[in-house]
Amino acid sequence: MPTALAALEEAYARRAAPRPPASPASSEGLAGTRTPVVGYVGADMPVELLTAAGVSAFRLTGDPESGSALGDRYLGRGVDPMARSVLTRLLDGAFGDLDHVVVSHDCEASLRLFYALRELRRVEPGTRLPEVYLVDILHLPHRTTARYNRRRIGEFAARLEAWTGRPLDLAGAVAAHDERRRLLAAVAELRRAVPARLTGRQFLAVADPGLPVDEHIALLERLLAEAGRLEEHTGRRVFLSGSDHDTPHVYEAVESEGYVIVGEDHSFGGPQPDRPVGAGGLDALAEHYHHSGPTAHRATAGERAAHAARAVRQCRAEVFVAYSRIADEAPAWDFPAQRAALDVPAVLLERQEYGRADLTALRKEHPCAV
Amino acid sequence: MRSVKSLATAAEAGRHQREWFADLRRRVADGEPFALLNADVPHEIFRTMDIPYAVSQWWASLVAAKQRSGHYLELVRQRGYPDYSEQYNAVTLGSAFDPEPEAGPWGGLPKPDIIVGDATGDVTRKVFDIWGHEPGVTFYPLESAAENEVPVNWWELMPHRWEQAVGPARLDLLTAELENLVRFLETTTGRRFSESRFREVMALVNEQEEWNRKTRDLIARTRPAPLGVVDSIPSVMLPQWHRGTEWARDIAKRFYEEVRERVDTGQAACPDERARLMWIGRGLWYDMGFYQRFQDEYGAVFVWSMYLAIAADGYIRYGDDPMRALAARFAAFTDQLYTPPWSSEWYVKEARLHGIDGVVHLVSDDPRGSYFTARALEAAGFPVIEIHADNVDARTFGDEVVERVGRWLENVVLA
Ligand code: SF4
Repeated sequence: MPTALAALEEAYARRAAPRPPASPASSEGLAGTRTPVVGYVGADMPVELLTAAGVSAFRLTGDPESGSALGDRYLGRGVDPMARSVLTRLLDGAFGDLDHVVVSHDCEASLRLFYALRELRRVEPGTRLPEVYLVDILHLPHRTTARYNRRRIGEFAARLEAWTGRPLDLAGAVAAHDERRRLLAAVAELRRAVPARLTGRQFLAVADPGLPVDEHIALLERLLAEAGRLEEHTGRRVFLSGSDHDTPHVYEAVESEGYVIVGEDHSFGGPQPDRPVGAGGLDALAEHYHHSGPTAHRATAGERAAHAARAVRQCRAEVFVAYSRIADEAPAWDFPAQRAALDVPAVLLERQEYGRADLTALRKEHPCAV
Repeated sequence: MRSVKSLATAAEAGRHQREWFADLRRRVADGEPFALLNADVPHEIFRTMDIPYAVSQWWASLVAAKQRSGHYLELVRQRGYPDYSEQYNAVTLGSAFDPEPEAGPWGGLPKPDIIVGDATGDVTRKVFDIWGHEPGVTFYPLESAAENEVPVNWWELMPHRWEQAVGPARLDLLTAELENLVRFLETTTGRRFSESRFREVMALVNEQEEWNRKTRDLIARTRPAPLGVVDSIPSVMLPQWHRGTEWARDIAKRFYEEVRERVDTGQAACPDERARLMWIGRGLWYDMGFYQRFQDEYGAVFVWSMYLAIAADGYIRYGDDPMRALAARFAAFTDQLYTPPWSSEWYVKEARLHGIDGVVHLVSDDPRGSYFTARALEAAGFPVIEIHADNVDARTFGDEVVERVGRWLENVVLA
């Protein structure tokens, strides 16, 4: 049997690829119809609801290698290339047969992607895109926003019930996702150890292998049991801030130069200061997602700086790298306050190409690491 | 040969704007609170409470027109922030960092006490929040919410059936945020909010935009066009920043009468009009001569920009609950211009109304639904040329644009 880490890495490599048709037993819902397959976009997706509905769900990711001509055409080049790539792959059928695409408003690029999908279905039905649904979770720290989010979460829950024809098992789903959070936090400790017992690249796979939550939990438990057998990674310790990384390209580029990424603050990485949802149903879920983050796109520069200072200390990072992808400019606005809040060297890699890292500025900061 | 000099209303609006700004500087110097507002937030509340305010985008357009945007972006850069991002608001932020603010246009923008902006996109809230950390400045953010499904024909629904067009979730949210804004302003400025004054302000705005609607319709049906966008933009936009005043309502009426008189006496922007052009995008503030350049050589007249058209279709809201009607004016404001199907279908409706022969589309890097706009127009038979530049950052405007547009006029529009 492969190690848990190998199994997670293998699942990560396959994630978001077309799934083989499920076996008849598992693909039949109570209503006698196929279990809906849902692709979702965005950090603010209340995944507990997807699990509670019993749909087969996975987060859609882009691919910097496979071109994005269609996404560029429909979204324009002012939109984060990650979203342009996701749209291209959707149009190419790279995700297989999806019944629904659900998008959260976690950043401008996700919202533009939603609008493009909605409009393409309307004016170019030949594209054969699946139905698209927006979950509009917002983040100003006010009660007005909390009430709005609760309403949107309730609407989404009702929509899922309409899709599957059965009630949600919310308590079970919340318990499962909370357990996954707890295990991921424990795995994050392995990476924070000195020396680190996981690389950043490995951690991406561990955090987001695209598996159903119960399978993911089982592998995380095994990984923790096998922790004693993990290698030690002694590279210079980097905290990576900024744009989302839906693929390992940038992690591989940075770590190939002798660094090890021991923490990050983007939504494909390790748990943020992430509390359990706990009991309480839709109210608790709405509050959880209201306060999630702080992400580059929705938090203030001050919140981001305070978080960076805490996180860098916690994972004993020696260098802070802020990565701002071209057309994803929010992280570049955060950087001055982050640098001021830190007592380690801080480097901004700005206007980076999707899937690439120009490390010139980092090398200048730390010539000895090369 | 250009037969039209600037309109009297445009000249008067310009004069009023200078006097208003000088008066505003005096009031602020005398200790009155000063608010800086993003264009898409409900100014009507500040008007009602008589709190002096200026509009961020108006200031940026003035800075750009004075060829000073590079200077302010450099100040932003010196603080370590990007100078290539959200320039429309970043230029205005730069004025907060200016060691010599009085050297700015018109004596400089006073330091605001209150900033209100909406959380559109990923950066706008950050820019204003950073400003909010300057001493003595408070930033009050508003949400930017989105809707799953919307009826396409918003321009028919908005005046009376805005609840149906915008949807109750967004309206409940913004209405509540505005009630809280009023309380915040009452508390921090000591001013009172009068419901009867608020109703007056709301009525004046509807009157002003109704005059703009008549003007838009008149220009749309008149051949050759009585005026081009360089004349209509100041006549509609400067009063727009004074929405809810009698002055703004009256000058909107005079603008209509002046255009009416031009039509009645047969005056035209270009008597030998051969093509009617539509400009989609924000104003090219650093090169307003762009719009007239093609009249002399090609008889091609820019008869349409969003400024008069959105005044005509985008603002009017009737109803018994003025706060909810005000929320309805802004809860989906940018969607009207930038989100398909609303934006694309509206541009097609306007192109048909104006008898457009060709569309020049300014595509800036900020992420808006430009493909669907061009697609809808082309599908409806209107040729479209896209030009890529930022509307306040002159560094992004290539020399070849004018030549490209000229070739397109010759080969496509006039062929
Ligand atoms: S260059 Fe100097 S400061 Fe930087 S990591 Fe090497 S030894 Fe440390």
